[in-house]
Amino acid sequence: MIEVRSLTKSYGDRRAVDRLTFTAPAGRVTGFLGPNGAGKTTTFRCLLGLAAPTSGEALIDGRPYRELTAPRRQVGAVLESIGFHPSRRGRDHLRVLARSAGLDGRRIDAVLTTVGLDDAADRPVGGYSLGMKQRLGLAGALLGDPSVVVLDEPANGLDPEGVRWVRQLLRTWADEGRTVLVSSHQLAEIAQVVDRVVIVRDGTAVVDEDVAALADQQVSVRAEPIGPLLQALADAGVDHRRLRDGTVAVGGVGADEVGRIAAAAGVVVTELTRPSAVAALESLFLAATGNGAPTADPEVTTPTRPTRPTRPTGTTEAAETTGPAGPTAGDGPAEAEEVRS
Amino acid sequence: MSDLLAGEWLKLRTSRLLLVMGAAAVALSTASVAGTVLAAGSRELADPGTVRDALSLTGTGALVVLLLGIVISAGEHRHGTAADTYLTTPRRGRVLAAKVAMGAAVGLAVGVAMALTGAVVVAHLYDAEGVGLPVDGGEVASTLLGATVYTTLFAVLGVALGALVRRQVLAVSLALTWVAVVEHAVIGLVPDVGRFFPTIAGQALVRTPADAMLAPHTGGAVLALYAALLTAGALHVTRTRDV
Repeated sequence: MIEVRSLTKSYGDRRAVDRLTFTAPAGRVTGFLGPNGAGKTTTFRCLLGLAAPTSGEALIDGRPYRELTAPRRQVGAVLESIGFHPSRRGRDHLRVLARSAGLDGRRIDAVLTTVGLDDAADRPVGGYSLGMKQRLGLAGALLGDPSVVVLDEPANGLDPEGVRWVRQLLRTWADEGRTVLVSSHQLAEIAQVVDRVVIVRDGTAVVDEDVAALADQQVSVRAEPIGPLLQALADAGVDHRRLRDGTVAVGGVGADEVGRIAAAAGVVVTELTRPSAVAALESLFLAATGNGAPTADPEVTTPTRPTRPTRPTGTTEAAETTGPAGPTAGDGPAEAEEVRS
Repeated sequence: MSDLLAGEWLKLRTSRLLLVMGAAAVALSTASVAGTVLAAGSRELADPGTVRDALSLTGTGALVVLLLGIVISAGEHRHGTAADTYLTTPRRGRVLAAKVAMGAAVGLAVGVAMALTGAVVVAHLYDAEGVGLPVDGGEVASTLLGATVYTTLFAVLGVALGALVRRQVLAVSLALTWVAVVEHAVIGLVPDVGRFFPTIAGQALVRTPADAMLAPHTGGAVLALYAALLTAGALHVTRTRDV
């Protein structure tokens, strides 16, 4: 289990991580999401003892990394900043790691097979592609058979098949009871596999939720005519937005409550749906980060407006000022989906 | 600690670094030694000063060993392997200790190789000329021993400097500028100060025939002191600075 408590890391006047708090429990895949520069890598470096926190703490199984007795057996980590000696062979990189950490070198062949590097293992790493280096990094993380896995942007440099392979690895590890913490700035790469999501922006967690719970808090509704419904929702103080396709995204209340509000207003509801967990996560990510992370999956582009208590102020205002005829000055691509009339 | 040392040794063995730089150090020393003897006329060959000159040059390759030491520590930052190393061994003082030990061992090995090769080359060339060595065995031995200690300490200096500066190119530039420019200038201008500088002090250890040198033991002690100070600074930086 990973616990980050009020972690702060400053570089001069700039706070890369600002009182960040979250946990990544065992047996689950925790997605650590945020745009580039949100503080994800800095958080990982603090967690792994490579950078000293300015204040707060980051613990793995209750202890700081630097106090772990057998760190490679407890934690497997892949960071973007970890490099390889170009003239060293892939297999030798793992031999060095195993030897230094006192691990069983006989696992090397097995992990090379797991990451699909058997054929390239005896070539110098200097000739590896970015994707092959990612795979070698993963092999290194797996070597100690660790109970905690920390991966920083593991999908970078991998082709779509490789990305899917990484997702399957993450799922397998979590199902085996390991703690899996994985960062990405591309939500689509890991949306389908995360059980829990921590979204960071400007070094602070703006979302820390179970993915399964996200969908319960979002409803998509259509009505004929739409005007009275929007009025009723506004009167009820419910967070909502009208989207370009004519649906209204409602956040913070369940479908039953939306149905009651519509009924009380005498509005005929023609459609009342809950988005999939992935769709809910996507809209949450866009709303929380205010950045248009592209997605390859058309299913998850359904724009809805979630309500999160910790959402950044900018997007909160955008959501709350939306009314039946209220044009909204959005601050991100999520808002671009709204009707502007 | 034994795992750590074994890991450091494996790092050296699995890159071309040790082979290339070790060979370069021995080649440089051997060429310097042989050049001195070959350039001497038959009358100069009989002069003990010529042999002392030639034997003292067995330590020439120490400069390459200094660079090898820098690459052992700063190379980890250059290639981004430092983070991986500290993930394996989060107690970074131990990593530096292992690197200093490995550097010293490599320096010693290369120093012995340079000394033996130099001695064999000198003996062979004198033999070929039919001239007997004009110095006794004790003087040869103490010069070769001095060259070996000098090379070992230079390896430690390199590891410490690399760990202190971290940026490999900068560390190499600093080392070369210091040895080739600063020390030369100071020993020329203010010999009383210059002879306490690392390379010049070290040359006393190698019994380089020159004025203004410290006594060999004092020179060795001064060089060891520099190595210790630089290592202490490197330890502080290694423990406290982010990777």
